Amino acid sequence: MELPLSIQQLSKLAESNVSPSQLFGILSQYEADARLVSAGCGSPETGSADPELLSFFYASFFFAHLLTKQIPEARALTQRMPEAIRLQDPCLKNCLILLRAVWQTQHAQVYQILRNLQWPENLQPLVRRYDSFFQDQTLISVSTSYEAIRLPAAAVYLGLDLAAAEQEDPTIIEKFTQCGWKWDSETKLLHPTPIIVPSTVQKATNGIHDAMAMLGNRGG
Amino acid sequence: MSIVNDLIAASETLPRSGRISDERYDQKLKDHVTRLRQLLSNNELNHVAHDESLLDQFDPSKDSITYLFLLQLQIHNLRETTSETFPAALLPLGKLWSRSAHYLEIFNPVQVRYAGHEWRQLIELVVQAAQADSKPLLAARLVKGAMLRLDPSCAVFTSTHLLLVQLCLAAKAYTCALPVLEKPIYHIPILPSRSPFRSLQSLCAEYESSVAFVNDTTGLSSTLNSQDYLQYFLYGGMIYMALKKWDEALNYLGTAISMPTKGPISMVAVEAYKKFILVGLLDKGKTCSLPNSTATQVVKTLQSLVKPYLDLAKAFEQGDRIRLEAEIDAAQGIWSADKNTGLVFQVLNAFCKHSLVKIKKVVASLSVAELTAPISPFQGNLSGITESQIASLIMAGDLDATLAHSQLHSSSSILRFKAESLPLLFHENEAHADLQTQGKLMEGLFGSMEQANHRLGLSDEFIDNTVNRQQWPSAGGMKSEMGGATGLEMEEDIMGDLS
Repeated sequence: MELPLSIQQLSKLAESNVSPSQLFGILSQYEADARLVSAGCGSPETGSADPELLSFFYASFFFAHLLTKQIPEARALTQRMPEAIRLQDPCLKNCLILLRAVWQTQHAQVYQILRNLQWPENLQPLVRRYDSFFQDQTLISVSTSYEAIRLPAAAVYLGLDLAAAEQEDPTIIEKFTQCGWKWDSETKLLHPTPIIVPSTVQKATNGIHDAMAMLGNRGG
Repeated sequence: MSIVNDLIAASETLPRSGRISDERYDQKLKDHVTRLRQLLSNNELNHVAHDESLLDQFDPSKDSITYLFLLQLQIHNLRETTSETFPAALLPLGKLWSRSAHYLEIFNPVQVRYAGHEWRQLIELVVQAAQADSKPLLAARLVKGAMLRLDPSCAVFTSTHLLLVQLCLAAKAYTCALPVLEKPIYHIPILPSRSPFRSLQSLCAEYESSVAFVNDTTGLSSTLNSQDYLQYFLYGGMIYMALKKWDEALNYLGTAISMPTKGPISMVAVEAYKKFILVGLLDKGKTCSLPNSTATQVVKTLQSLVKPYLDLAKAFEQGDRIRLEAEIDAAQGIWSADKNTGLVFQVLNAFCKHSLVKIKKVVASLSVAELTAPISPFQGNLSGITESQIASLIMAGDLDATLAHSQLHSSSSILRFKAESLPLLFHENEAHADLQTQGKLMEGLFGSMEQANHRLGLSDEFIDNTVNRQQWPSAGGMKSEMGGATGLEMEEDIMGDLS
């Protein structure tokens, strides 16, 4: 960690394009600093706890957990937040509401919380990033979970305009057909094409071959 | 100040230069530690014990020994003068805390092998200070970092392992423990005379295994007993439970339960067994088998001690929701006393999921309305479940099925269980990731087995035993027998998993 914990530094991180795991790693290193700030060793100017900085840090770190799909650990983070700001700070209260919706897989609520609740300006990039991430993840899940799905139901899952979906708005339909889904205008059903996320690991068959070779060598 | 000047001069020559042999460097470090211990025991450094700037004259990353001794001297002196166990300077934010924390982040891992007692004492002090100030998180991160710095393999069980999991549980910083928990333990600290590296006397040498320097005499671990080992695996299991990594939790709890014992069964093992039953229900929907290494007598005794848990598991496995709820109500005091209430309620929530999974064995597809009807072939176990909950289970990967909406809104959706699920590639990628992990574990295990074989082969006990038992098969014969059988079994298992 090169730079000290500050609102400027956190704002830069929130706006940056670092990968979710990098973001998580960087913010993890700041947690000890945040704990010390909460204990009263804030900025040299104030010399005391800095609620705005703490709120921004914990909210950013919370979103970093969500972006790396660490939901149980995100819950643990909310329990580690300093009590005084966890229950008072509007942004962190929003995080708790969001966590509950994500935990209970209430898709419509998740989008509503992300889009309609008031989030601080400097946190907006992470809020938008998670909105997009959650939408992508849900699209993948729906594609493998449904053989056929009504357009409004699919729209709710993806946080799209429900009224437009009920009117069979072509722009809504197009969002799905662009992903290879088929729209049956007679039955009014979408037929998803399962989206298989390619593994980041190298070609699988090589791995199996290598593992078996290793077993053979070791055993023999 | 001449002593300090001498120490500064000695300190500058302490970092290892490329040419010095292991033996010479070993002797140099030993001499340095001996001198420092002598200076401290003769109180020859007391005149600088208050000097805050003293430590600035040493670089802890280059001379981790002098810095450590002087840091300890200042801590000891501060405690004496303030008559406080944890004066403010030692608590987080304090000057000595900051110095200690900085030291633990950058110390030289080879040099501290020679000052293991002092290194461990500093770790313990940091832990106690953080706990005294209700900030276990600060110590957890430091301890984890220090452990990995000292021994990146973490393959030898030490008292610091136990400290770390206790801290992480207290701080609710569960992922902080994972870099250590994920590393398999192959050894406990042993006497150097039993070490496979006993012929190599230099602690500073590079070793394949950390068992060469984490032993009974270096002091890098305090003396351990079987309870410490059990507690580590119980707490490790609890950390995995908090993260809902159920397989890993079962593995850790199973290890705590199956540890061989001659005397009475430990209460830690009993606690682990209670959690093991509940985690088995949560993850697999049934009571999982204990590891094969668990003694039959131990299993019988454990079962007699956890009857309410077994009754609950029986009701769960029989698919009897009413009885399950009754069992939960009846033993509320027990769950609470055991601090397992949260887990028991998770079991109740998981009942629906596993009831659905069981239906897969009976039917290929059915409408959601049929499934959720109060009077259904499924004993009303799923009467409260909604379509969106079913969809959530499928989307989370807990239920291998698909949903299909019908054209008419009035018609119920169809739930279709998958006989053959996603394309093989999907499974192959997952299997490959698993294989990579398991492959690394096996490499480590084989390495440790080879060391153990080597050690056994050189030991007096082994030679005596070989002489006494003339029927011992030849090493070559054993090897080929093991190799053939192991390879074949693994292949069948892999094909079984993929099918």
